Amino acid sequence: MLKKIHIKNYRVFEDFTLDFSEGLNIIVGNNGAGKTTLLEAVHLALTSRIRGRLLSNELSPHLFNRAAAEAYLSSLAAGERPAPPEIVIDLFLESTVETAVLKGTNNYAHENEPGLRVRVSFWDEFADEYEAFVANPEDVRLVPTEYYRVDWLNFAGNPVTSRGVPASASMIDAGSIRLQSGADHYLQQIITDQLDSKERVEIARAYRSLREQFSDNPAIGAINEKLAEGQGELTDGKLSLAIDVSPRSAWETSLVPHLNDLPCQFVGSGGQNMLKVLLALNRTADAAQIVLIEEPENHQSPASLNVLVRKIAERCEGKQLLVTTHSSYVLNKLGLDRLVLLGTAEDLRLGALPPDTLDYFKKLSGYDTLRVVLADRIILVEGPSDELIVQRAYIDAYGKLPLEAGVDVINVRGLSAKRFLDIAKPLGKRVAVVTDNDGKEPAEVEARFAAYTLDSKITIHVGEKEDGSTLEPQLVTSCGRRRLNELFGTDNQTDDELAAYMAANKTSCALKVFEASDKLPLPQYLIDAIAM
Amino acid sequence: MPSPCNNRAIIAAAGARKTETIIEQALSEPSKLTLITTYTTENLRQIQRRIQARVGVVPSHIRIAGWFSFLLSETIRPYQHSVFGEVGLVRGLNFDGERNRFARKGSRRYFLDGNNDVYRGGMADLSCYTNNASGGDVIDRLEAVFDCIYVDEVQDLVGYDLDFLDLLFGSKIAVVVVGDPRQYTLATNQGSRNKKYRGADFVNWIDERVGRCEREDRNTSARCGQEICDFASALFPGLPAISAESDVTTGHDGIHLIEPHQVHEYVETYAPVVLRDSKRKDTLGHPAINIGVSKGSTYDRVLIFPTTPMKQYLASRELPKLRAPERLYVAVTRARYSVAFVV
Repeated sequence: MLKKIHIKNYRVFEDFTLDFSEGLNIIVGNNGAGKTTLLEAVHLALTSRIRGRLLSNELSPHLFNRAAAEAYLSSLAAGERPAPPEIVIDLFLESTVETAVLKGTNNYAHENEPGLRVRVSFWDEFADEYEAFVANPEDVRLVPTEYYRVDWLNFAGNPVTSRGVPASASMIDAGSIRLQSGADHYLQQIITDQLDSKERVEIARAYRSLREQFSDNPAIGAINEKLAEGQGELTDGKLSLAIDVSPRSAWETSLVPHLNDLPCQFVGSGGQNMLKVLLALNRTADAAQIVLIEEPENHQSPASLNVLVRKIAERCEGKQLLVTTHSSYVLNKLGLDRLVLLGTAEDLRLGALPPDTLDYFKKLSGYDTLRVVLADRIILVEGPSDELIVQRAYIDAYGKLPLEAGVDVINVRGLSAKRFLDIAKPLGKRVAVVTDNDGKEPAEVEARFAAYTLDSKITIHVGEKEDGSTLEPQLVTSCGRRRLNELFGTDNQTDDELAAYMAANKTSCALKVFEASDKLPLPQYLIDAIAM
Repeated sequence: MPSPCNNRAIIAAAGARKTETIIEQALSEPSKLTLITTYTTENLRQIQRRIQARVGVVPSHIRIAGWFSFLLSETIRPYQHSVFGEVGLVRGLNFDGERNRFARKGSRRYFLDGNNDVYRGGMADLSCYTNNASGGDVIDRLEAVFDCIYVDEVQDLVGYDLDFLDLLFGSKIAVVVVGDPRQYTLATNQGSRNKKYRGADFVNWIDERVGRCEREDRNTSARCGQEICDFASALFPGLPAISAESDVTTGHDGIHLIEPHQVHEYVETYAPVVLRDSKRKDTLGHPAINIGVSKGSTYDRVLIFPTTPMKQYLASRELPKLRAPERLYVAVTRARYSVAFVV
């Protein structure tokens, strides 16, 4: 099982550490926060491969963190002699009998733990060539990876072989399904992992005898005889046709998985993805199994996503899953308490949520919890009309939509705002809650939220009791009957009558306020909410 | 209650099936994670070949590693940070280099050359030093990785190797060392530490560890005939006499002396394997094997071109004339039936 990862100078991560939980880890974050890179780094440490190829063959300056590379290059340009930057990925594993041999203090923290390390560093055998290369610093535009080496080590400081890794990694990257003679590398790997060593030998043997049958076929024999007659003309050797069974074209690359008799490349992306996830999760292996799933929601219709997420939830037992997602649905269904948020100063997790709230979002999975998680600031409102008026108040005050300023106005849609606050509070979010006073004093309403507003950036915004119990009478009070009657094209004779009309036509009245050409004096508690 | 001692030292005569004993025991306990280690690569290959001959491949519970590569990868590298303050620093072995005499003990230059390879003479020293510097993490880690460690040809271990053996004896790991001090012909290093336990005196080192390591002597040779055993025993009066297991005779047995002019005819008649001390020795045109290299091998008959001290010993049978009884011992105990000396 994975305990922790430390990443230095790899892509978006300059100096990054993340602890993993047992079982499910749901990784969310804005674009560019490094979700995919994190999965890639885990897979790299477990296999030394990147997208199916050895890292040593795929080394490029673009793998280096930009800030680290720029610091190096600008130091060179300034005439200094900086050490060439290094990429280090340290993956800490659980201490078991199997991992004892991987144990040692050769990791960034010098902790005596078992683990794997990928290190991309300057190769000092090239010291002379490098000296010549950096003699003209203005010519050095990129990290000179041609003078680099890749080491795959364990924390004991010894080189690792793939057999020496007591965990298997299945990578399911929905975003980019790449095909390579029918199936992509990861799918092929997942299928191979399903087989025990005896079955693998049997396939290899059957494949070889297939080749022999091909050569023994009389028609092929006749062709090969004809080819052989040309001997001496073209070449001194004997020319013949046969199926290649060299390792490069062993059965793994030539046999193509079929789904319902269709070769995999003709199955839709959604179906392929589903197949990969299920294959990876079905496996009952003795070795610790790590399943890396990138955005399971990609290519899935809502109905099939439902099936897929249910299967993930059912079958993840005994395995460790790292799932990245942009879908609140996936997050809610798999459990908000499993959330890991990337891209903040320190990685945040929700951890222990009140069980009823957790359960609530599992059942009502349509709620946009991910918006709460990802937004910088949040205004929680209780219905579509409140949402429209708050948006308008924001535009009046700042001249742009709240979302453009990183403020997300979220309609709790009949749910208690408290459910969302259960998520927002542990994440330290700035939240303004806009709610009706329901005929009570604001202090009384605020007291209901005392558990949330204490030691947090959560504020409660309620209209004065005498200005009306809901949004509509509050608007009547602040804007005045005359201006609202004008706006709606009505002729209500009393404030109560106007408020009753608005209550009966909530959304269309709110829309008219939102679209009004003049600025209206909106209720003070809404002004306060957007100013938070 | 103190646990019974789980370490053993098997002091065995030539041809007493030392390596066989190790292989048999290691194979018989598949639930135990086992290391088999020895100094020379030749013996390492022998062990590997013999296991493969028995069970096809080396089973997954057994690891075979040279003594230096074991020290390097399982004791030094994992905790190098505690000595050098860096990770991923230590590379390999510097077999030929001598360390700077003036480097302070514990400093980087004391143990490592400019390439960060460990000097041969400082290897086991560094293992002990690392264990100490890491607060015992080296031994803790070994206890988690291995249940049993077998050391073959233990007489090759000298100096700090013995200090590291002491650490192993103090661990939970069951350690079995096997060797024949009479066959001390080469050593892992030439340092001065523990010098008094070299060669035949290795048994004293074992005897001083009574209660920590149980000594077991095997003085029966399955290889050599009795006359050869007697000749070999006489070379080491301080150690128990060796007796022959079989009494097979071939009509030409035991120890013989021939003159140079008889060599061609003798080789024609008996087809012995020709042994010499070094390749500088003229063997009258017959292909020969160096005595040091012949260690571990069995031949029906050998023909030895002796050194001058050996000749003096053969004439006088006075041990002080023989500076290196170990080499003569190795040479004669290669033979099942007959040994001839060219004098």
